[in-house]
Amino acid sequence: MIVQSVKMAFKSILANKMRSLLTMLGIIIGVASVIALVAIGQGTTKRVTEQVQGLGANLLTVNIFGRGPSTALDYEQAMRLAEVEGVELAAPAVTQNATVKFGTTSESVNVTGTNRAFLDVQHYEMAEGRFIGDVDLDFRHRVAVLGSETAAALFGDENPVGQTVSINGSRFKVVGVLAEKGESSAGSRDEIVIVPITTGERMFRTGGVRTIYLTVEDEREATAVRERVENELAGMFRGNANSYRVFSQQELLETVSSISDSLALMLGGIAAISLVVGGIGIMNIMLVSVTERTREIGVRKAIGAKRRHILLQFLIEAVVLSSLGGVLGIGAGVGAALGASRAAGMDVVFSTDVMLLAFGFSMAIGVLFGLFPANKAAKLNPIEALRFE
Amino acid sequence: MEELIVLDRLTKTYRMGGETIHALDGVSLTIRRGEFVCIIGPSGSGKSTLMNMIGLLDTPTSGSYRLDGEEVSRLSDSRLADIRNRKIGFIFQQFNLLPKLTALENVELPLIYRGVPGRERRRLALEALEKVGLGDRRHHRPGQLSGGQQQRVAIARALAGHPPILLADEPTGALDTRTGEEVMQLIRRLNEEGHTVVLITHDLSIAGQARRVVHIRDGRLLEESGVPAG
Repeated sequence: MIVQSVKMAFKSILANKMRSLLTMLGIIIGVASVIALVAIGQGTTKRVTEQVQGLGANLLTVNIFGRGPSTALDYEQAMRLAEVEGVELAAPAVTQNATVKFGTTSESVNVTGTNRAFLDVQHYEMAEGRFIGDVDLDFRHRVAVLGSETAAALFGDENPVGQTVSINGSRFKVVGVLAEKGESSAGSRDEIVIVPITTGERMFRTGGVRTIYLTVEDEREATAVRERVENELAGMFRGNANSYRVFSQQELLETVSSISDSLALMLGGIAAISLVVGGIGIMNIMLVSVTERTREIGVRKAIGAKRRHILLQFLIEAVVLSSLGGVLGIGAGVGAALGASRAAGMDVVFSTDVMLLAFGFSMAIGVLFGLFPANKAAKLNPIEALRFE
Repeated sequence: MEELIVLDRLTKTYRMGGETIHALDGVSLTIRRGEFVCIIGPSGSGKSTLMNMIGLLDTPTSGSYRLDGEEVSRLSDSRLADIRNRKIGFIFQQFNLLPKLTALENVELPLIYRGVPGRERRRLALEALEKVGLGDRRHHRPGQLSGGQQQRVAIARALAGHPPILLADEPTGALDTRTGEEVMQLIRRLNEEGHTVVLITHDLSIAGQARRVVHIRDGRLLEESGVPAG
């Protein structure tokens, strides 16, 4: 009986192709927009999350805003943060834009003065030579490590290690080159020159450390460690909380996920509205169909169809219509998302959960909005229905 | 012979704008298995109401109706649908075939509602189509058939479930004289093969072919004439 009804429903849908398509359009558009937008949204979230995690979820960044002895930290003070319980490594940094020259080629890059720990804290790896060492800091050696892009820009295919570059007019010996790291939300991480922090401080004449990168031993303890670091800083600045800020990657991840959550909620709302609109379209056409087929209903009843047979027939027709719309909508949504990713280079992630949900929802819409017309059909009086012209 | 339809003082009243209309006014009628009964009357005589009553599409206001030994005047919609499906084969003036289904699918329809499994259903439907001489047109749609052929498909649909009663409402009303005569021949032949036929018409020449004629006027059966029953 059900198989028969589904077959009949398909027949009647195929018999009125144009009408069926227009009826399904509401559902198709609703489902397609949700599938496409969710795919793009999840793609973007995934990309951002990966970038953040690329920096390390165990990273804490301390920014110092103040100047002068009571509102700034020197290198030794900054290194005291490394002794806070739970902190693994501390890499204080001073950064300034500078002109780096080799021969006749010059590049404007960010020069960062830091210590040995920076390599691990920022998850860099060496491609050539060595990184900054403790001895370099102690003796304020004029040595530099180049990011891969900067090295390529200045030296081309030549090996920079052992060569001499000038930074803001001072001569530095290149001791190493970093391996390629890629893009981040803050721009390229390969356009960089690293020097010992002691050398950097003197060259830039900065009043203390601006940034301190910390890693925590255990990611799960990040929040507790962060509080301890903040307490330590409060002690150093005598409670002047405006002079510093501690920022964790965890926080950034939470921000990203809360944005994507509210985005998902909004999409759900759009989906619900358009599906309800689509459902009303289906109800409308089903009512027309019931009227058009009054005589058919009369015949079916006369030859022995019960109320539930008629109810089921029209309900199945509505559900087939709406689920077909759901399937076509999923197809259109996947197509649109792939098109967007190809045309605009966007990342897309397809989730089967969302597709199943959209399909289930459109089916439910069919049941919900098919019930009223189907019930109307089932309740028709066979005598009057047979007399209907 | 066995009594198939027993109507006892059947009445049906409608209220229309404060006025009570007696569509059927104490109708008693007995039809035995194998009979060919024609109910004749002018329009407005109550013959359609009587047909709906016999066909279980309508229930009486009072009186009793025993069909094949079972009291059916006070049953639920669902039970009535069931009995219609098993006991009565309808033949309509306008054929009432479903235009989107093939001849075979149309004939299968009552068997679907009876829950007959697919293969058996097709066998029975084909058997009925062959009985009316349209086995070779099984895949045609009603639109591709002539009026006479359509009515024969409709008769096959009525026959498919082997119901004891064939209930025909002006079966030749929409046909020209010659095809109407062919359809009547088919109905007569079916009666000779043992089917009980109840035919409703206003056409005396059609009524003349029945073995028993019942006149209806103003909701009452006036007389029974023709060849005596049995």
